[in-house]
Amino acid sequence: MGGLVREVRTVARGWRWTRRPLVPRSVAQLEPEHREFATEWARRPAARAARTAIQRGVLAPLIHFEVDVRVRGVDMLDTVAPPVIFVANHTSHLDAPLVVTSLPEAWRDRTAVGAAADYFFDVWWRAAATALVFNAFPVERAGARRSTRLARELLEQGWNLVVFPEGTRSRDGWIGEFRLGAARLAIENDAPVVPIAVRGSYQAMPRGAAWPVKGRRPVSVRFGRPVRPFSDEDPSAFNDRVRASLAVALDEEATTWWEAIRREARGSTPAGSGLDAARWRRIWEASRPLERPGRSPAWPTRKRADAARR
Amino acid sequence: MTRPGFVLEVDERTPPLLFHHGEGFRLEKLPLGTRVVYPPEALPGLRDVDGAIGRALEEPRGSEPLRALLRPGMKLTIAVDDISLPLPPMRAPDIRGRVIEQVLEQAARSGVDDVRITMANSLHRRMTAKEIEHAVGERVFRSFWPEALGNHDAEDRANLVEIGSTDQGEVVEINRRAAESDLVVYVNINLVAMDGGHKSVPVGLGSYRSLRHHHNVHTMLRSRSYMDPSASALHDSTTRMGRLLANHLKIFTIETTLNNDTFPKPFDFLQKREWEWSVADQAAYLAAKRATDRAPAELNRKVFHRIKAPYGVTGVTAGETEAVHEVTLANVHRQQLVEVDGQADVLVAGVPYVSPYNVNSILNPILVTCLGLGYFFNMYRGKPLVRPGGVMIMFHPVRREFHSVHHPSYIDFFEEVLAETTDPAAIEAKFEEQFATDPWYVHLYRNSYAYHGVHPFYMWYWAAHAMDHLGDVIFVGGDRRTVARLGFRTASTLGDALDMASETVGSSPRITAMRCPPLMLAEVR
Repeated sequence: MGGLVREVRTVARGWRWTRRPLVPRSVAQLEPEHREFATEWARRPAARAARTAIQRGVLAPLIHFEVDVRVRGVDMLDTVAPPVIFVANHTSHLDAPLVVTSLPEAWRDRTAVGAAADYFFDVWWRAAATALVFNAFPVERAGARRSTRLARELLEQGWNLVVFPEGTRSRDGWIGEFRLGAARLAIENDAPVVPIAVRGSYQAMPRGAAWPVKGRRPVSVRFGRPVRPFSDEDPSAFNDRVRASLAVALDEEATTWWEAIRREARGSTPAGSGLDAARWRRIWEASRPLERPGRSPAWPTRKRADAARR
Repeated sequence: MTRPGFVLEVDERTPPLLFHHGEGFRLEKLPLGTRVVYPPEALPGLRDVDGAIGRALEEPRGSEPLRALLRPGMKLTIAVDDISLPLPPMRAPDIRGRVIEQVLEQAARSGVDDVRITMANSLHRRMTAKEIEHAVGERVFRSFWPEALGNHDAEDRANLVEIGSTDQGEVVEINRRAAESDLVVYVNINLVAMDGGHKSVPVGLGSYRSLRHHHNVHTMLRSRSYMDPSASALHDSTTRMGRLLANHLKIFTIETTLNNDTFPKPFDFLQKREWEWSVADQAAYLAAKRATDRAPAELNRKVFHRIKAPYGVTGVTAGETEAVHEVTLANVHRQQLVEVDGQADVLVAGVPYVSPYNVNSILNPILVTCLGLGYFFNMYRGKPLVRPGGVMIMFHPVRREFHSVHHPSYIDFFEEVLAETTDPAAIEAKFEEQFATDPWYVHLYRNSYAYHGVHPFYMWYWAAHAMDHLGDVIFVGGDRRTVARLGFRTASTLGDALDMASETVGSSPRITAMRCPPLMLAEVR
């Protein structure tokens, strides 16, 4: 019996039972997955009805049970008309559910989420679940034309898109390079981009965690000022503007609206890319617990006064 | 689409990798950075195999169509590759039978009456009636067995003919019936690059007198490797003999190639890349591992030797031997070649349950040596996978087990010859003649189902190049006394074996492992 137990353990460890299977790096470089999963069914009326029920009845309550969410800046959506491209920073698996459940219902119902094809669309059941719950469509991280084509079609059909232009979750909690895909899409379709600053999700559920950490950590979602592409604007320049707008939203979330616009005017908005320091220090800073939101005090506290002076 | 072979670099994401271990297998966690050579996936088989055979016979290379070579009153001999091919045996219908049926169809239409079908078993054991029936098909078997269908007898002096000698003095002696036929049709299965071409008739229908010119230590040490005919003294010799034969005899060669679809369900996990194992594959592995660990070796052997491979046929080519073999080799390479950068210090391989010489039998210690150091080591073009003075580590239990009917001379070779020396050249000089001409072994070869008395010597010579090249050979999980008799060392685990190897290659060796079978041929640059 001991031999069987040992063998089962070897197989369970080797093939990561209960966890996502991994592909050796030398294989992943050689043969990126090219399986195609149709997601069109997930935008039909029955699936939309099911999604609304799941998002309202399960996802939103679960998110609010596990983390302490604050959504701000929803009024920014009054200044744009669908379809728009929502662009968010990405540090955690919480980001997509946070963004989706933060959207006003009318917007949420017409929004599709770009999800990594190699990660979320690797096996049929994960692909189906992701497509159903998030109205997800596969995004090839290698930059294949197929995903751009699909995204363009969705925009043309009037769907808003949620895109994480970093392409993957941040490894250290800070914002990485923005890929040009979202900017190109916006320019080609003349669609406004709404930046969404997600703060606190790295602390609540960092990369590698399968579930939010205990303690109902504070997380905030802030909709930033929409950015519209100029005609014939260079994707790279537009991409920079989107990133800057997201940085302002993040700054506003970290400080105050007044602070943030003053810094923006001075051109000193933190880029959100973190310290230029050793990796551990970046992670150290990014994982510093956020202050728990409380009721706003009626008069200035010493802490607030210090922050304002800084 | 078929994915090509490739070289995996083991990292922390890599699951344990599967190695054959005799009539079983094992999962091994290889050191990080180890390179593992994977064969290409199975090429798609031909959809219309019978159509392909028909076309090959109608449009042969370098020859008239078969139909034009057939006439009433002629003597036709069909020689067929024996039990040693393919490995594991092919699921019915065997491609040889399908080819023979079409040849006979044409012969019947042309009014040929005098037909003889001979299994080209050379010095291998005779095939049983059942084995022959599986190879040639029921229809052929029923029509010809036993009068006009049987094994070649390389010790039947009355039925051997000396055709002549090559310019190098190599005697060419073959089966009399074939030599006196108006046409010899040779039907082959070209499983590896060593097979086929001019090796078919001179060796398959040859005798000890003829074979000793190339089945010797001198030739094997100059065959680098014998899986690369262009760099093989063995093939140079058989080509000289084959060309001589072709001047005396009309030979119409039909060669076939198979894909890498080696293991049927539920053993198909053996040919899948481990990180792609489904839950069902993992369960199949666990069940098979548990069963093989618990069951006696005898039972395991029975189960494994029942495996019939679901091969697809990738090519059928007919015509003049050399013109045909050129296409055949290209087909074999298409299925098996993998490019590998540079040599390693240590080569790791799992030795499976079957070699060409123990189908329905036991892989005895000498055959283990032949399969590991002969076949697997030589699965290269260019340079060996392991550097000169490197170490080869193999997984196999290497039990002191012999099949007393099939391998009687092996028992004496192990007990008497290897007890004295393991040096191939010394063995050849002192013992070969005695074993080759021993009347009892000759009797058993002719009348029982025994391999020829000289056969264990050839197996040992097959490993001579590897023995000469390597600094050390270690068997993981091998029986200590048996392996010591072979002149090698044993280790309990791969870790121990690598520790032992460090005495020869240092403490941080470059390691390459072969994920074989399914078969591969490494193109080492």
